[in-house]
Amino acid sequence: MSPAIRRSRLPTRGTSPSRPWLALPLAALVLVVSIGVAVTIGPADLTLSEVGRSVATHLGVGGALGLEPLSALRDGMVWQLRMPRILTAAAVGAGLAVCGAVMQSLTRNPLADPYLLGLSSGASLGAVLVLLAGVPLLLPVAAFVGAVGALALALSLAGALGTITPTRTVLAGLAISQLCAAAVSFVIFWSAKGDAFREVLSWLMGSVASATWTSVAVAGGAVLVLGTLLALTGSVLDAFTFGDTAAAALGVPVNRARWILLIGVALLTGALVSQSGSIGFVGLILPHAVRLFTGARHRLLLPLSALAGGSFLVWADTLARTVFEPRELPVGIVTAAIGAPVFAFLLWRGNHR
Amino acid sequence: MPTTQRGLTAERVSWGIDGQLILDDVGVLAPAGAVTGLLGPNGSGKSTLLRVLAGVQQAGRQAASGPGPTTTFDGADLRALPRRERARVLALVEQDAGTDLPLTVLDAVLLGRIPHRSLLAGDSDADRAAAHTALAAAGAQELADREVGTLSGGERQRVHMARALAQRPRLILLDEPTNHLDIAAQLHAMRVLRDLAADGVTVVAALHDLNLAASTCDHLVLLDGGRVVAAGPVGEVLVPAVLEPVYGVRVDVLTHPRTGRPVLSFDRG
Amino acid sequence: MHPHRVRPARAFALPAVAALALAACSPTASGETATDDATPPGSFPVSLDNCGFETEVEAPPERVVTIKSSTTEMLLALGLGDRIVGSAFLDGPVPDSLETVPAVEEPFAAEAPGSEATLELEPDLVYAGWESNLTAETAGDRETLARLGVATYVSPAACKEDGYMPDPLTFDTVFDEIAEVGSLFGAEDAAARLVDEQRAALDAIEPDDRGRTALWWSSGDDAPYVGAGIGAPQMIMEAAGLTNVAADVHDTWTSLGWENVVEADPDVLVLVDAAWNPADTKIETLESNPATREMTAVKERRYVVVPFPATEAGVRNVDAVASVVEQLADLDR
Repeated sequence: MSPAIRRSRLPTRGTSPSRPWLALPLAALVLVVSIGVAVTIGPADLTLSEVGRSVATHLGVGGALGLEPLSALRDGMVWQLRMPRILTAAAVGAGLAVCGAVMQSLTRNPLADPYLLGLSSGASLGAVLVLLAGVPLLLPVAAFVGAVGALALALSLAGALGTITPTRTVLAGLAISQLCAAAVSFVIFWSAKGDAFREVLSWLMGSVASATWTSVAVAGGAVLVLGTLLALTGSVLDAFTFGDTAAAALGVPVNRARWILLIGVALLTGALVSQSGSIGFVGLILPHAVRLFTGARHRLLLPLSALAGGSFLVWADTLARTVFEPRELPVGIVTAAIGAPVFAFLLWRGNHR
Repeated sequence: MPTTQRGLTAERVSWGIDGQLILDDVGVLAPAGAVTGLLGPNGSGKSTLLRVLAGVQQAGRQAASGPGPTTTFDGADLRALPRRERARVLALVEQDAGTDLPLTVLDAVLLGRIPHRSLLAGDSDADRAAAHTALAAAGAQELADREVGTLSGGERQRVHMARALAQRPRLILLDEPTNHLDIAAQLHAMRVLRDLAADGVTVVAALHDLNLAASTCDHLVLLDGGRVVAAGPVGEVLVPAVLEPVYGVRVDVLTHPRTGRPVLSFDRG
Repeated sequence: MHPHRVRPARAFALPAVAALALAACSPTASGETATDDATPPGSFPVSLDNCGFETEVEAPPERVVTIKSSTTEMLLALGLGDRIVGSAFLDGPVPDSLETVPAVEEPFAAEAPGSEATLELEPDLVYAGWESNLTAETAGDRETLARLGVATYVSPAACKEDGYMPDPLTFDTVFDEIAEVGSLFGAEDAAARLVDEQRAALDAIEPDDRGRTALWWSSGDDAPYVGAGIGAPQMIMEAAGLTNVAADVHDTWTSLGWENVVEADPDVLVLVDAAWNPADTKIETLESNPATREMTAVKERRYVVVPFPATEAGVRNVDAVASVVEQLADLDR
């Protein structure tokens, strides 16, 4: 290879077998450490040893280590507030990043994110309806139903126009998003009582503040099942790299694959949105950032995006909890504040390569 | 009755959309070990025919009446083959397929191995070896570590050819493989096709440049308005009586002093 | 000429000082716990239906976090200031008539606090002025706090649920809340005394009898957020002898278009003075806008100013009525 040709602008990457596969265990380690460190950080002045004692007690090793349990309240802060919240953030971040990567490849649109098919607006509509109707217990269900409903609408709209091509998918999703967003605004405007809009607003911006162990089970379970399945579709998504025809020529059943993947993304996103509201930018930025290291092949991109997305949201939420202490921010504000400039940077970098 | 013959045999291929017939009862015969050129003016249906033959043309309607179309390759019905199996027999090189994604050339070529391995598997050493062989065959070995987005048109065409070759096809369909290439790159591309044919591969290439077809192809199929107007050896198709009504220009056919192949010269009619 | 108008708190607080000072001197203020305050044993545990959520305390709460002025001042007025371990989101200074405590003088959060910041104070009760102070983003949702052994209580007048939202809010509702808080803290006697004093002070007020109409402008510029038919503004205006021009809107507060305001052309404008939206600014807006400039109340400068903390249901409403009546009388001097 001539030196002139090797002088490409990015560090050459990708195909040597040793390096990329090291990235996975490394990213997994970063995620675990992030969770471990984040749980010791918060507005409340809990010491490391207190957090350690609480976690050890609940993992059933506290007694064996001869540790004294914390007061119910301090223990609750660690185990009922911080821990579920951080784990939910990790699961939601991981799921959104995978869904974002899949959507970007499936629609061959670098601006695609998990909410592309109107999922977040549909979920918001469902959530806002139950919040304002005063039955917040139904919120996760309503959000999920809203998300899947919006997906069904968007796909039937795209399907009604003919084959589900990337462009039609994007346009149909946009139309449904706008429709649902208008409906959300109308519902809020029409019926928000007193300061009920605050709750709605924090939900619309995306937050894991209300996470419980149930949220961990729903978001974590969805990511483990659907996220893993999606992450295994790397070869299929690879085949879409040069478009639908190229994918078909490589033996991929293009339409069926697109339907199945879209529905998988929708179910996973719906489950995540039901727990956290629609947290922006994670699904958009993370896949782009990870691609800088892995290249476009999905076998590594998908799991690495998941692990990186999990760590990212854990830290974003830690910022949300602590920056304006004693106030807390919805994490969606933090991801947007970080995501928008990062996205601008990626765009700029793309132009200067 | 179609005889069992090596190569591609397509009969009664029709395809239309929105009530307009793009291909009307087309038949193609492309023998193994030969380069078959698909000629015709813009809009004559060359690209559509290639995609229909490759089984990747979506939607649209077949002609309703009469016996259905057949596409057989080496005696096997291509339409009846499962997709992945078909992708191991047949490769398609599209025109201007690009991507915005950051992808190295080697990764792009490795995509051609997808039909040959389990959907869950990663690249094996055998896959990488096949990719390097394909890169070498396409004359793109030195590009392996480059990023696809940074390649010139000719380089990209070689990469797409290498990707198709990595599929190890016995039938390769190419849509304008010399489009936008400079003359050296055009000749290089045609050289690769000739080498493939020499290895026994069935090559079908849609071509714009009649002189390139004249110098490279063994057989030609000339399309006009979705119908086959002529088919056969180069010397039978590239004659003024056939070409002039199709292209609407005056054609003079000369003979190449070294190769003895036809050389065409055109005037406004 | 405005400055003395926009700080009426001191002026109108005077008549009530004597009354409230009594409460501040009740035994609970001297460091004894409420259980000693002649409360018959056996009234605990207390369980209340609070905005549709069950508030349950086993014993009189000893460590209380108050959120917003209305709740903080309620406890101070009941002489329960020593129970406050932390106070947040205060709408303005505590009136001089109330004896304050360090936790109130230095609030732990200027706005609605988050859950960890709240729980760090290890409260046994969080007493919130608004339902939105008790959500996951703020001090924590009520179920979660209950699971952690922290009771929650929202000022009942702030309940938004159907069947719980006072419709309309009356002084009886306000006095009932005082009594309910008294029972929650085992301070029934102090609460009864405070209610008696407040009732007496209210009865002593001679409402303005000139049949004047008024608009209560709380906040908002694009579309003013005004006191409507069933909330504290309506209650205060009615008691002061004013007719609320937005009384036919069945809500506590409502947004009203400027066109409606100008058309209604009330005799008097009641302006709420809040740090984030001072009465001065409101007056400037009114006098600079060509449409509102022509309103009778603006031309005659008939403004009545009420401090924001006095405009939510609580112990300062009676004083607010007295102040409004006094300012109305002043307008014609």
